[in-house]
Amino acid sequence: MIAQDFITIAPLIAAVLTAAAVLVVDLIRPGRSGPAVATALVGLALTAVVTLSVGGTEATAFGGSYTVDPLTTFLDILFIAVIVMTILFAPDYLLPRGLPVAEFATVLIFAMSGAMLLAGSSDLLLLFLGLELMVLPGYLLAGYHKTDGFSTEGAIKYFLLGSFSSAIFLFGLAFVWGLTGTTLVAGTDGIAAKLGAIVAGEAPLSAGLAMGLAFMTTGVAFKIAAVPFHYWTPDAYQGSPTPVTGYLSVGPKIGAFALILRLFVEALGPLADVWLPVVIILAAFTMTLGNLVALTQDNVKRMLGYSSIAHTGYMLVGLAAYAAGELQGLSGLLFYLAAYAFMNLGAFAVIAALQKRAGVTSQLDTFAGLGRREPLLTVLMTLFLLSLIGIPPTAGFFAKYEIIVAAVQAGGALTWLAVLVVLNAAVAAFYYLRVVVYMFMRDPATDAPALRHGALMWGGLAAATVLTILLGLFPSALLGIVDQAAQALLGTAGIAGT
Amino acid sequence: MSDSLDAYLILSGILFAIGSFGFLARRNAISMLMSIELMLNAVNLAIVAFAAFSPATDAQAQGSVIALMVMAVAAAEATVGLAIVIAIYRNKKTPLVDEYDAMSR
Repeated sequence: MIAQDFITIAPLIAAVLTAAAVLVVDLIRPGRSGPAVATALVGLALTAVVTLSVGGTEATAFGGSYTVDPLTTFLDILFIAVIVMTILFAPDYLLPRGLPVAEFATVLIFAMSGAMLLAGSSDLLLLFLGLELMVLPGYLLAGYHKTDGFSTEGAIKYFLLGSFSSAIFLFGLAFVWGLTGTTLVAGTDGIAAKLGAIVAGEAPLSAGLAMGLAFMTTGVAFKIAAVPFHYWTPDAYQGSPTPVTGYLSVGPKIGAFALILRLFVEALGPLADVWLPVVIILAAFTMTLGNLVALTQDNVKRMLGYSSIAHTGYMLVGLAAYAAGELQGLSGLLFYLAAYAFMNLGAFAVIAALQKRAGVTSQLDTFAGLGRREPLLTVLMTLFLLSLIGIPPTAGFFAKYEIIVAAVQAGGALTWLAVLVVLNAAVAAFYYLRVVVYMFMRDPATDAPALRHGALMWGGLAAATVLTILLGLFPSALLGIVDQAAQALLGTAGIAGT
Repeated sequence: MSDSLDAYLILSGILFAIGSFGFLARRNAISMLMSIELMLNAVNLAIVAFAAFSPATDAQAQGSVIALMVMAVAAAEATVGLAIVIAIYRNKKTPLVDEYDAMSR
């Protein structure tokens, strides 16, 4: 059965081989970005094909520790899309600053292999390894501009708090493993089954196990930057090179939510009543504080950093709605992840395009009068910002709609959370629209000539634009996929719960 | 060699607490890195203790595997961390983290 196991993890193998191939190409043609980018894109396309063909049948590998189901396939494809777009719009930012593109692509694809491992793991140890494989390249990317004080400062803050939270998560993992005797998440012998027995009163809940679960929750809250564990986010986002910020605000967030789905929904599913209040409180504080602080920012990258904290809060509302018994919350969360990935990457792509001229900052003043100088980029930026606010007919509207409907249907305290989401969206409109006002209604400070942007940049922007609009006009196509993914997750959780 | 699992877990908890305190209280980036390593070693002590006191032989083997994985991750993390510390030291000429305040207002 070993051969079958390797076929099941073929997408991971393809991802690692792609990263290695980019390295080899860079070795043969050092310093040339064209061949490296081409190799990376072809390799990622092949990885996507492999993922889709393996994803046709549900399977488990290596003693049930790795699972391929519609959720794994959906998340894998989403990761590949995110990485492809990041690689498309990175060269315009990296090349003028003398930063190598090939190494950037390699490290990014290694990070993707970790995220894909995370998406398919149904074993605590594999979840931890996937998490580390995803975040370690992230630390390197944050400090990618190593002669720049901001970039390295963002990197060290991201690294120190990231590894601190990893240690906390791991301490929890040690106790959960030691006291349940298993690392498997689901299945008849998994953690979900053991916790189910405790809930049913067949076994006592030891203090050590409760502490372990609390430590793991804290570690995960750090990774998704939920308030009050968010302090690393603004500095890491502002300091990193802009394409990296775009990736960091999307890739590790999807990865961390994949961890949450596997950990909270699958393993801790029987304890949903216990963690529901925690998620409600985290969601309320995360979206409110993220939006309120974003109001006061005059650096667009930092502002989008705080806004990404707020969006984490909205996604947590979907998780809370699921825990309160509304299955739509789970598919709403998955839809939100996809919509947020495309619109946020698009916004960062525009910032990266403007920063093609070295020395251009991401201060709000940079955007003054942009409507006359770069009309097309301005229109696209406006579209992405409107989508981030949640204005129809964009992807962001349906994402918020799904989450709010799920929360209202769940009722109780969740109704108030839905009201809070709407209020927060109104507050958020102010700071997103401020950028639009600057672009269209302020006079530019300097008469800089328009920039020529590469074909790759336009390709990445076109992909983000098309996906943002398509998900807004025809959400039902993706909704069908995320419903299937959510059902697959509940299928394994259901088996474990009985 | 104590024959009680609790003794080892308490020792592990104390080591973890010392590491956390060091991470929160020290200003030097290298000291913070060392504190994180101490926390990871506390985790390993707990894992090895759980494995040694487990009656099932496959749980004992599993514990060794987890401990090895944790060591590998700790080594990778130290490598990345030291590289970042060197990069920022070249820019700022100081290892003290409270002087890395160019972005916070």
